[in-house]
Amino acid sequence: MTLEELTSYVTVQSATIAEGWYYIMTGLMIAIHVGFLMYEVGASRMQNAVSSGVKNLLAFAFMIPTFWLFGWYIYLAFPHGLVPMDMEGYGVPWNVSMGPMLSDQLTGVFWAAFTLFACTTASVFSGAVIERIRISSFVFLAVLLGSVCWNLGASWGWHFDGWLVTKFGYHDVAAAGVVHMIAGWFAFGVILNLGPRVGRYNADGSMNELEGHDLRFSFVGLLMIIVGFFGFLGACLIWPGLPALGMQEVTTWTQIYGAPATLSSFAYNTLMGLAGGMIGAFWMSKGNPFWMMSGGLAGIFSCASGLDIWYPGLAFVLGTVGGIIIIPANDLLHKIFKVDDPVGAVAVHGVAGIWGVLAMGIFASGYPGASDAIPAVSFYGQLIGCITMFAVGFIPGYGVSFVMKMMGWLRVPDHVQQAGIDKAELGLRATNY
Amino acid sequence: MSIFNSWPGASNSYDGVDAYFTSANNEGTLIFWTLVSIAILIFTTWSAAKHESETAKNTK
Repeated sequence: MTLEELTSYVTVQSATIAEGWYYIMTGLMIAIHVGFLMYEVGASRMQNAVSSGVKNLLAFAFMIPTFWLFGWYIYLAFPHGLVPMDMEGYGVPWNVSMGPMLSDQLTGVFWAAFTLFACTTASVFSGAVIERIRISSFVFLAVLLGSVCWNLGASWGWHFDGWLVTKFGYHDVAAAGVVHMIAGWFAFGVILNLGPRVGRYNADGSMNELEGHDLRFSFVGLLMIIVGFFGFLGACLIWPGLPALGMQEVTTWTQIYGAPATLSSFAYNTLMGLAGGMIGAFWMSKGNPFWMMSGGLAGIFSCASGLDIWYPGLAFVLGTVGGIIIIPANDLLHKIFKVDDPVGAVAVHGVAGIWGVLAMGIFASGYPGASDAIPAVSFYGQLIGCITMFAVGFIPGYGVSFVMKMMGWLRVPDHVQQAGIDKAELGLRATNY
Repeated sequence: MSIFNSWPGASNSYDGVDAYFTSANNEGTLIFWTLVSIAILIFTTWSAAKHESETAKNTK
């Protein structure tokens, strides 16, 4: 074999294995949606269990075509702000780049992985609104979040050329802010307008627990989300040495900003953060299994911004803090705003996301960017990123759902809630026993 | 650099860096986080045992 033949062989193998990697990670991420579906069905009362599941399935189904139509384009075109870059048609649905090409093995699988990121973002939101949002309204809001808002935040802070990255050194490799904060605070904006489920609050302002019909679904669902997160996190890294990306000389995995990274760092810190979050929530809740599992997720999000660089012992501590803070944060949000967040999504994703983004500024200030064009990590940069992610989630979530509320297109009427949405709208029931 | 952290390489560069995690070149900080991790495990186990004992006492 000549040197040219060997080079050609290695290049082809590299591109094909990379294509396979993102293909498999995309499939693995579907476990996140299995998990969210089971979790939310279990957390719903029997009379609304089917409609909760339908909502999750529709979020998945609508996110895929809308991400193909405009979500991917928004991510690619807006890294510099609110004015799109001229990409000569790349990324719009009628361009050849948005279909299979023999000369481009990667765009399709990158699009697929990002589509599943978008589906995850929408699923985060769905748990907060169960049992009283209209399914059509949910679908509209999920598309707004997963195929518009999140994409803008990702373009700004999860892109090597995003303005948050190049101007402020914003560092959020596994999307504590870009996915979890945006989705959590979008959900908060919506539930302020949506109002609580019938029976959640008494006239004197005291709150009732409306327990889900089967905690076992929620257990398995939350564990499935964690399985799926390994796909999510695996797809956050860029395969080494891809000629198509001009990275022939790169000999290690790189994170999304282009700095060296390893799968080992993701493995260490995901697992240590998960364990820390579960233990922290176990202690804080005095053994409540619902909060332990949510705490595990919060532990991962607490480490997510610096998942590439944490010392595993520090990741465990960050995760523990994340698992502890979500419980008083959830109580506080309910007490102050009288909202109804049946799965604690705002605290688990929104609050733990803030902690994750800021922890990067507190514990990793000075970490270098991938190139001279990217400033080093700083608390100031992380704070700017944090405020931006909050705004990108909360403002559209609150604003659009307010308009929908005024139009009478947001909430299932109270009498339908009392009758049970499954029976009233779908003519179905979750089980026959 | 943060007081909690030290970068093991040259300023704004990954050149020549092997262990690149936070405080990789500062064993004292690594020992500190290790001890905090151990303390969390011991404290949580002790706290759970205390809660169980109190529950047993209160339900006699």
